[in-house]
Amino acid sequence: MSLDIDPHIRHSTRHVGRSVPRREDRGPLTGRSRYVADIRIAGMLEVVFVRSIEAHARITAIDTSEAAAVEGVLAVFTAADLADVSTFPDFIPYIGPVEQRPLAGDRVRYVGAPYAAVVAVDRYIAEDAATLVAAGTVYEPLPTVADLDQALAPGAPRLYDHWESNCSFDVAPHKPEVDRAIEEADRTFTETYVSQRQTGLPMETRGVVADISDGTLTVWSSTQSPHMVRTTVALMLGMPEPQVRVIHPTIGGGFGTKTHIYPEDVVVPWIARRLGRPARWIEDRMENLVASVHAREQRHTVEVAYDDDGTVRGVRCASMLDMGSGEIFMPGTAPVFVTNACITGGYDLPNMEARTIGAVTNKTPAGAYRGFGIPEGAFVMERIIDRVARLTGTDRVDLRRRMLIRPGQTPYVMHGGGRLDSGSHTESFERALEITAPALERARARHADDPDVRVGVGYANYVEPTSPSYHLTTGHWGGGDAATVRVDPDGSVRVAAGLSAIGQGAETIAAQLAADMLGVSPDDVTVVLGDTERAPYGLGSWGSRGAMMLTGSVLLASERLLDKARRIAAHMLEAAEADVVLTDGAFHVAGSGRPSVSWAEVGTAAWVRNVDLPDGMEAGLETSGYYHPENLQHQLDDTGRINAAASWANGTHIGVVSVRLSTGEVRIEDYIVVHDCGTVINPALVEGQVHGGVAQGIAGAMYEHFQYDTDTANPRFASFMDYLVPTCAEMPHMEVDHFESPAPEQPLGVKGCGEGGTVGPPAVVAGAVSDALSEWGVDLTECPVTPVSVRAAIRAAEAARGGAGGAP
Amino acid sequence: MKPAPFEYCRPSTVAEAVEALGSSESSRILAGGQSLIPAMNFRLTDVSVIVDIRRVDGLDSVGCDAGGVTVGAAATQTRVLNDDAAAATVPGLRAALRHVGHLQIRNRGTVCGSLAHADPAAELPALAVATGAVVGVAGPDGERRIDAGDFFLGPFWTALEDNELVTEVRFPAPPDGSVTIVDEICRRAGDFAVAGLVAVVEADAGAVRSARLVGFGLGGAPTRLPTAEDALSGWAPDHPSSGLTEAVMADAAGAFDDIHATGWYRREAVAALVVRAARSALAGSEAA
Amino acid sequence: MTTIETAAEVDVEVRINGRRHRHRVPSRLLLSDYIRDVVGLTGTHVGCEHGYCGACTVMVNQDAVRSCLMLAVQADGAQVRTVEDLAPAGSESLSPMQQAFHDNHALQCGFCTAGFLMTLESVDPDQWREPERIVELLSGNLCRCTGYQNIVNAVAEAWGAYHGDGGSDDG
Repeated sequence: MSLDIDPHIRHSTRHVGRSVPRREDRGPLTGRSRYVADIRIAGMLEVVFVRSIEAHARITAIDTSEAAAVEGVLAVFTAADLADVSTFPDFIPYIGPVEQRPLAGDRVRYVGAPYAAVVAVDRYIAEDAATLVAAGTVYEPLPTVADLDQALAPGAPRLYDHWESNCSFDVAPHKPEVDRAIEEADRTFTETYVSQRQTGLPMETRGVVADISDGTLTVWSSTQSPHMVRTTVALMLGMPEPQVRVIHPTIGGGFGTKTHIYPEDVVVPWIARRLGRPARWIEDRMENLVASVHAREQRHTVEVAYDDDGTVRGVRCASMLDMGSGEIFMPGTAPVFVTNACITGGYDLPNMEARTIGAVTNKTPAGAYRGFGIPEGAFVMERIIDRVARLTGTDRVDLRRRMLIRPGQTPYVMHGGGRLDSGSHTESFERALEITAPALERARARHADDPDVRVGVGYANYVEPTSPSYHLTTGHWGGGDAATVRVDPDGSVRVAAGLSAIGQGAETIAAQLAADMLGVSPDDVTVVLGDTERAPYGLGSWGSRGAMMLTGSVLLASERLLDKARRIAAHMLEAAEADVVLTDGAFHVAGSGRPSVSWAEVGTAAWVRNVDLPDGMEAGLETSGYYHPENLQHQLDDTGRINAAASWANGTHIGVVSVRLSTGEVRIEDYIVVHDCGTVINPALVEGQVHGGVAQGIAGAMYEHFQYDTDTANPRFASFMDYLVPTCAEMPHMEVDHFESPAPEQPLGVKGCGEGGTVGPPAVVAGAVSDALSEWGVDLTECPVTPVSVRAAIRAAEAARGGAGGAP
Repeated sequence: MKPAPFEYCRPSTVAEAVEALGSSESSRILAGGQSLIPAMNFRLTDVSVIVDIRRVDGLDSVGCDAGGVTVGAAATQTRVLNDDAAAATVPGLRAALRHVGHLQIRNRGTVCGSLAHADPAAELPALAVATGAVVGVAGPDGERRIDAGDFFLGPFWTALEDNELVTEVRFPAPPDGSVTIVDEICRRAGDFAVAGLVAVVEADAGAVRSARLVGFGLGGAPTRLPTAEDALSGWAPDHPSSGLTEAVMADAAGAFDDIHATGWYRREAVAALVVRAARSALAGSEAA
Repeated sequence: MTTIETAAEVDVEVRINGRRHRHRVPSRLLLSDYIRDVVGLTGTHVGCEHGYCGACTVMVNQDAVRSCLMLAVQADGAQVRTVEDLAPAGSESLSPMQQAFHDNHALQCGFCTAGFLMTLESVDPDQWREPERIVELLSGNLCRCTGYQNIVNAVAEAWGAYHGDGGSDDG
């Protein structure tokens, strides 16, 4: 299925592999894009959700009468009104069922849980009424659990009365070889590593517009997965799936938060159906911070067995996920499994025993965020390696060299079954070191005269599973996608795919692929994504799957189309099919001077002038392909292992930081990325993905942190003044280089690149700051790394030495 | 996030503004609105009447003479930031305003509004205290003037009565030869400070002669650091007075904990800023 | 005796992108909502409604402002410009800054883009051309997709300034 092996296609211009300019740009640049909040339908009503202000409570009464009486308010709905809507499914058998209702009934489990919906003529009035509903709500507060310790303490208050404890799942494999390693190694240490609660935070919040007309419910949703929304909405509202159409308009970013299907995705369509009028809800930022999923709050307790020469013999790790209330569909449990699956990163460390635990707390439900558990694991692994190096007096770089997967070692099967199909683990590290050397020299020279500054360097070598199984995450869906390719009578090409466009450039890539397959210009290709009525079923954009899914499905469909087109052309050229070649967009007989047949002529024959078709050929020129990657597994094998990704990208991140001792301020002086995502379709887009991912990774390493009050489980954040999304001024200069190790089993060798950028920074920043402060013995074990945590570490080190705790 | 309903008016004189302010218990002055409108969007503040003073005659003036700079209540931060004469007369103004928010905020936000809002982490209140500014206030009983040192009573709390508004602030020129430093530690560019310092430093032959130090971002009102001012007297980089850090730590003992920093960190940080300011002042490299 | 009248509804007259608009609106209506919902120009996006993200940045009388932190009535009598006014009218071409954003892959999801463009449009490049100044200027707008580097590159290119420290690493 490679472009290079089809002898019938010859192009003077190839588009795959080039930075073809994005077709998506013009709309946002000129203000003519239509995001969900820009949709206007005559008579559209505005919905505002009323959300719990208690972290854990029974709701004993809701007086909606005052709100309903406000001029301009059409209705106020509570859980009782939605009795005809099903509960969100609990598809995964091994996690505790949460039986989530679209609106909370008599029990709320986090601040932000929606329990009523106000419908009014505009948002201002709806908010006025919502405050009256809030005032008319009577809570009976229940004891709260604000973190993992509280949740799992004996006798802890339970979120779900029908559970035995707050533990949702506990999967504990036992590996005798790790027992042996711990027993036989020269030394061991134990440590606990912590990653903090964050979120993807797209600049566009979520939003839903719904309208029912002629029996069809149309839902415009800012979702990463419109087909999955369709399936779920139809299921929960009891409607036939063909009567539900879900469209994602232009999407203002997703980053995982919009993979989930939320209460509002179901309630707004229900309201439109109930009232027979178009309705919309646009999440505001205050809601967004508590009502869209959080992520990354994990704790890892490790026991590390190592030898005096620095050899890491084995690691036993218990990874614990704070799931928040767990009331989210699909559940937010999968990332911690991914953490464990990927925890050894680019290192050859089979002796890893990883236990996976999830517990519910009275906080916003945890879910997906770009990186999906990988950064947390990379943080643990790199901190372990730095610790072992320091404890044994081994060079940190040399130790990594010794541990990295070597050229020729792929395919390499990781401890949990992940099968690294190819990669450049060692090469990437060496290349990144080369790029780093002058950057490090520059930083050292810049600060040489300042006794208040120390310079350090940090490393991360990671793997990035791409195009993963969605079965483990959802308990329901799988891992393939469909595309349809059509050539119209005028010869223009239309590609429709189940993937969604969320800002990553999917439409541009689809056009590049189809253009090369069919020998046309990308400008001649119309791309349709994100509309369940116009595009075939697909799972959408997440899991770094866009490039591979588009490649697989578009190539499959194009190949089928080309096959038919060539038969038509051969007939029109009165030639043998095997002699017909496609050169620069026209069919002709190889080696002949005879005139060619254009795509327009073939398209016209197929759809219009059927007299030009070969006898007995079915008319039309539209083909589909459903692509499911080879080697992608959806279920554990007999040994409890699984290769749950179609391919595995890899990369190295290195950061050079300066630390100001007196204030604890950290500055990333340079950030180096060497990245390998297999064959690159569009270099500019890949680099953009890396830049954006690194920025989010740095955000997590140093800035963003959802903090909750430990006594009440109330959020200690409400705005961007508390949740610190970095600006331009916080970002270092990034230098990005690439390897291309093609995925041997995938079309074109494409792997995927959406998430890798987020993986390195927590490990890199913590490692670099610890390195800068090595003379104090500082060894950071938690993110984010902040001025306060840096000063606290210095102070603790000085206190331990009996020195003064004051600033130098 | 939409404001609750309110009545709006746009007076053209200070007298009208005072009158409108008195028309309701929860009436509020709107000048730049860069703090008030977010609070209203969050429905955190109860407002029944908005008195928009942006078009009150004469309130948008920035006056500059040898003795200081007078800034009217409707003058934007950008306007003052870009005023070269004001920067020459009171260098701390430009130095402080560069740290205030972002361009878009300064384009609307006012200098006087920042004082009236009295955010404990804001730069301008600290500058007012450090420079000995005087706040002009109008109310039903006429006008009065309040020394900045008496104006800030606590976080978001000033000596303004409910029915009074700030009409102007007068920043006196600092002593000849002094250096004004505005320095702070923020989590992100443009944020309110986790810890900040305004220092007006006079130096003699390579050593500090005297300094006026005001910390901000420490919790309450802008915080004078009197013990540190004493400790800094005679300070020079090659023979730093012992106990300077301890003095700052003592002066800033009331620094508070929040999600961004601990009180302990804030005290350490402001101590570091004092040392930095002294070095910088002596190096003659004014932070303006 | 109150001589000054207060009102829950107000008359607003604004010139937006050269066209005059007159409406009677609630006094509490935000300028962002006025532009988007009353006038119908949805290119100005709302990202946080508390003045931090900068997505809603428009120009009011030449100044970049957060339209979520202004009441519509505060713009009474003012000239407002929005992203819809940047590209040359009646042509397919883009403004130099828009083109530089396109050429440098300085947008991905595009939700923040209008705010960046309006901030940039409002300033005199001569005052902001230095790399540190570009970063300072852009720090009032959040972008979640690009990591900012390509935005900085785009601005530098459009304004004809270049990084001194190795510059763009575009492949």
